[in-house]
Amino acid sequence: MVKYKKMRKKKLATVWLGGCSGCHMSLLDIDERILDVAQLADIVKSPIVDGKEMPDVDIALVEGSVTSDEHYREILHIRKKAKTLIAFGDCAVMTNVTGMRNYFPLKEVFDAAYVNAVSNDAEGQVPDHPSLLKLNDKVVPLQEVVNVDFVIPGCPPNADTIFYVLFEFLNDRLPDLGKAKKLKYG
Amino acid sequence: MNCYMNTISIIIDDQKLETDPGKTILEVCRENGIDILTMCHLKGVLDIGACRLCLVEIEGVNKLLSACTTKVAANMIVRTNTDRIKKYQRITTELFFAERNHVCAVCVANGKCELQDLGYKVGLDHIRYPHLFPQCEVDTSHPWYVMDHNRCIMCTRCVRVCNEVEGAHNWDVMNRGHQVRIISDFNSPWGESETCTSCGKCLHACPTGAIWPKAIVQGQLQKNPGMINELVEKRKMKL
Ligand code: SF4
Ligand code: SF4
Ligand code: FES
Repeated sequence: MVKYKKMRKKKLATVWLGGCSGCHMSLLDIDERILDVAQLADIVKSPIVDGKEMPDVDIALVEGSVTSDEHYREILHIRKKAKTLIAFGDCAVMTNVTGMRNYFPLKEVFDAAYVNAVSNDAEGQVPDHPSLLKLNDKVVPLQEVVNVDFVIPGCPPNADTIFYVLFEFLNDRLPDLGKAKKLKYG
Repeated sequence: MNCYMNTISIIIDDQKLETDPGKTILEVCRENGIDILTMCHLKGVLDIGACRLCLVEIEGVNKLLSACTTKVAANMIVRTNTDRIKKYQRITTELFFAERNHVCAVCVANGKCELQDLGYKVGLDHIRYPHLFPQCEVDTSHPWYVMDHNRCIMCTRCVRVCNEVEGAHNWDVMNRGHQVRIISDFNSPWGESETCTSCGKCLHACPTGAIWPKAIVQGQLQKNPGMINELVEKRKMKL
């Protein structure tokens, strides 16, 4: 492990919106390099740690697109709390698979899943409990709701790419995926 | 080479070059190892200047011209890599992605796609334009091949190869603007075509995951666009 000179430890959050969690799996694939990250930052909120409300952070990695009223509120909150907001993975950057429902009216999408799917019996119906989130008509990438400071495309992005980006930001440098030959879609 | 032919000199990116007249700027660049981005150009079929990726600056001409359709002329001064050109290359690439539906993660061409490679070359990390998310057809009516309009960038390489090399003219173009579509015969399902010979050349010519064989799954697509020019050259040989 590398020795670090004393710097203020940064605060890091990772959030999971409309995605499949594959980006977070890829984040875990940075393996022992997580120790290098831990030297420079505390992970204060993430699906993989026990954090509650999102506090003020230096960096937020946000996986997934904005698909519902809940995501919409969340991303606005994250934007207020994060100095650097990173769109993490193809869904966050350009909607990707989550956006494939955009070609159809929302009702058709619901019916396909809850009413007409072959696995449903004849009584299949669309759930509408008040505690459930409400899907928006169209799925949008993060950039259509808030300003995004950096993007990491890829479905999922490679662990090496994720570490590279984190490590650069944690050392107050600006990564460049093009120059680093780390661009990837899909 | 014909030794009686006059050569002309031109300057490309500050490099002085001797070349035969009658060639396109693109041909001269490629012969001299100067990289020009192209998408609608396919060696072996006619150039039509459709994609606007190969735009270059020519001194004394105030608009950008496509290198694939502009012939060299004596003392021409050409620039291929100015900031202005890079800006347009990036915009063009973004519009390719935004116009139809490119979901690389579930596309047969993923990892073997000319459009992806282009994105990496121009440093495209996100798309600044809103996606249109059009509802596009996937024509699976042909017994062996699929035409997925979601992935088509309207380069018309398939149309030209089918017409000029195979001589079948199954493919053509319908409508304009964002409603423009490649059609089989007079816009009928590909499987019902009366002209298609099922030769598969369009599949190799297509730079993206728009035309592909049913026999493959995601990530296994193998295309050989260079084969088109090989065929054309072989047919010129006198036996
Ligand atoms: S055609 Fe190429 S760019 Fe489009 S979705 Fe498929 S792999 Fe991606
Ligand atoms: S189907 Fe392929 S070759 Fe034909 S116009 Fe579309 S992208 Fe080009
Ligand atoms: S390659 Fe010249 S315009 Fe497409």
